[in-house]
Amino acid sequence: MLQGTRIIELSEGVAGPLAALRLADLGADVIKVERAEGDWMRDAEPLMANGMSAAFFALNRGKRCLALGSDPSAASELLLRLLADADAFIVDGGEAQAESLGFAEALRPNWGRNPGLVVVDVSIWGENGPMAALPGSELTVQAMAGYTRYLGSADEAPKRLGADVAGASASAFAVQAALAALYARDRRNGSRAGQQVSVSMLNALISMKSIHLAAQSDPDQYAGPRVGGAHYPPEKGWRTADRPIFFAFGGSVGEEGRPGWTDFVTEIGLDDLLKNDQLDRNGRNSTGHGSMVNAMRPAYEERFAQFSAADLVGRIRKLGANAAVYMRADETLADPQTVAMDLISEDPESRRQVLKFPARFANVQLQQRFDAPELGKDSEMIARELGFSRAEFAELQARGALAM
Amino acid sequence: MDVSIMAAGPWTGALLGMLGAEVIKIEPPAGDGTRWVMPTQRGMGTNFISMNVNKKDAVLDFKNPADRRLAHELAARSDIFVQNFRVGVVERLGLDWPTLQAINPRLIYCSISGFGETGPLSRAGCADPIMQAFSGFACSNGAPGEEMEAFRFTGFLDLATSSNAVQAVLAALYDREKTDRGQKVEVSMLQSAVALQFTRYAELLGAGLVPVARGSENPAFAPDRAFAAKDQAVFVTVHRPREWQALCEVLERADLIGDPRFATNHDRVANKETLNAILAPIFAARPAVWWLRALNRRNVACGIAHNFETFRFHRQIVDNEMIANTRHPDWGETSVAGVPWTFSTDACRVASAPTPDGDTAAVITELTASSSPIAAGR
Repeated sequence: MLQGTRIIELSEGVAGPLAALRLADLGADVIKVERAEGDWMRDAEPLMANGMSAAFFALNRGKRCLALGSDPSAASELLLRLLADADAFIVDGGEAQAESLGFAEALRPNWGRNPGLVVVDVSIWGENGPMAALPGSELTVQAMAGYTRYLGSADEAPKRLGADVAGASASAFAVQAALAALYARDRRNGSRAGQQVSVSMLNALISMKSIHLAAQSDPDQYAGPRVGGAHYPPEKGWRTADRPIFFAFGGSVGEEGRPGWTDFVTEIGLDDLLKNDQLDRNGRNSTGHGSMVNAMRPAYEERFAQFSAADLVGRIRKLGANAAVYMRADETLADPQTVAMDLISEDPESRRQVLKFPARFANVQLQQRFDAPELGKDSEMIARELGFSRAEFAELQARGALAM
Repeated sequence: MDVSIMAAGPWTGALLGMLGAEVIKIEPPAGDGTRWVMPTQRGMGTNFISMNVNKKDAVLDFKNPADRRLAHELAARSDIFVQNFRVGVVERLGLDWPTLQAINPRLIYCSISGFGETGPLSRAGCADPIMQAFSGFACSNGAPGEEMEAFRFTGFLDLATSSNAVQAVLAALYDREKTDRGQKVEVSMLQSAVALQFTRYAELLGAGLVPVARGSENPAFAPDRAFAAKDQAVFVTVHRPREWQALCEVLERADLIGDPRFATNHDRVANKETLNAILAPIFAARPAVWWLRALNRRNVACGIAHNFETFRFHRQIVDNEMIANTRHPDWGETSVAGVPWTFSTDACRVASAPTPDGDTAAVITELTASSSPIAAGR
């Protein structure tokens, strides 16, 4: 879909590199520019059999890599040529880096050498504000965005979300920014000009809290996990004879919701609950994250001890309600549903497995690439493409502009 | 044209609206269930208020032939169609992709499901906490040794699905400029939840490391966790060699820099327990504010936890407009997500969610005013 589109990426970690990976999977030609010391993600554990970081590999496969040397300011003209020839630039170092590497002019609107360049600035805390230049990380962003409050409880050690949600979320917003700006540039009657877009990891997590932000604005009642959730006990589902499950009756349409709950409690021998007039008849307030859930959990669990998780989930789904067993990621991948969805692509040669682009397009079969570059692997090829002779390339290396 | 309900579908339309699209939400006669999700604000579900910014709202009954013709007319005039009915329902309602493609070949048909549109669970219902359980998301949260813990309930996977859908829709929209063809774009909560766990799945697929609960720790780096300072927890991350050196100096333990047990990230991850036992009492001896100043001065990532009350007026959040305030005549002022991108040329906006049913008459008038063959029932 993006064949013929060139992306330059100068970023580290998850957010910027994952954004560029998505564009690569959509068909773009991506060149990753790294500092001499390399993207810090190259040091991420665990390692694959070939010694490369598994996370770095997954984030950077399908890209070519140009490595700067010990005096990267000497690479200024090379970087400007690279950007003059590109459609989009994904960069995470802010203004200071642009100044020190000598490409700041490319970040300004209507840059003479390439007015169509789309610049996506991916930062941690946002481009403005007192924290803009402070260091940060996935963990510190989760803490600042209030995410750690909705795991564990105040009297125990803090927990993070195990997934790198700030990085992954910011990457999606960065891809949207790049595609929207390219669309605005290239559509019929489009602007033909690029623009500068900024996204940040903190903004991503705050945006994705929109339901909470609204719930806590000026609520009519103290009800629901969006008001009191930070003070709920840790959420571990309902215990059964074997594995814990999550389940919810009541559906999502209308004020009254859908039936099924009365049949369910009758079927599994919990019909005593029908006598409790605090419980609504569609199961909304005693299942899912209804207001009576924590009070009623022991009653459900006492009965659920007679059933396996799979049995209960099957019964609940049959009644049109929602349920699932809590699974680990390896179990998720082995589940027949996940297998049917074909989320993984395997390289027939190396047998490496990677996640595919997370959507299906009716008209396009996306292809995955299975190699991630060693640091500086493609420096010479890229320099030659930009018009530097072999001798000039050697000169750039000798001056420390590029890594040897 | 957004015929979705709840969260994952509606926020897709909301984001496209922030990008400048005109979004018309079509509600079923019974209403989007989020109107009644607690808590309400002056009677309106805050969930509805947050998920439906930047939209008009019309009610149509797709089971009624006249309303269905109006829906087809609207689809004929739309660029993007968003739906998240259970798999199989759009065929019954005459809103399936083949039908709408025949009406409008340039339409981008965004179809959002729970588990996906193929496979044994394709027709099973789904929601955020269900997918937290199914996708492995919850099993990577919790104290070390615990089986799992769910994230208490921001609707986070719903919104991640929306964001994933917008990413795919924009790719299809850009592609349409070259091909002049629309297409169906399928996004599931399952794909989206797995995508959100990108690094953990990469560790599993590339090195066989199964994601499990690790408290505040990261399997990839050490130290990267919370430590109890004298007064509250501080969250500290070291990625680069120079950050490790700086941390040791700030902790007044320069001797650790050359310690072979901790020389590289690889060593520190392997000897994490030993490292934690050394670092924990040092952090515990001084308050968080000291560590914030001392570590930030040396460019080491360090922070404390915030909550709604402490971050909503925080200058970093305010100066970057990460929270927007919308105003509605009936339910008043509500804070919702600000725009997640800042474009230098095209300004984005966040406008209040609509009054349910508030634009039905105007939408119908506009659709029937023209002499379209569909609206005329031919």
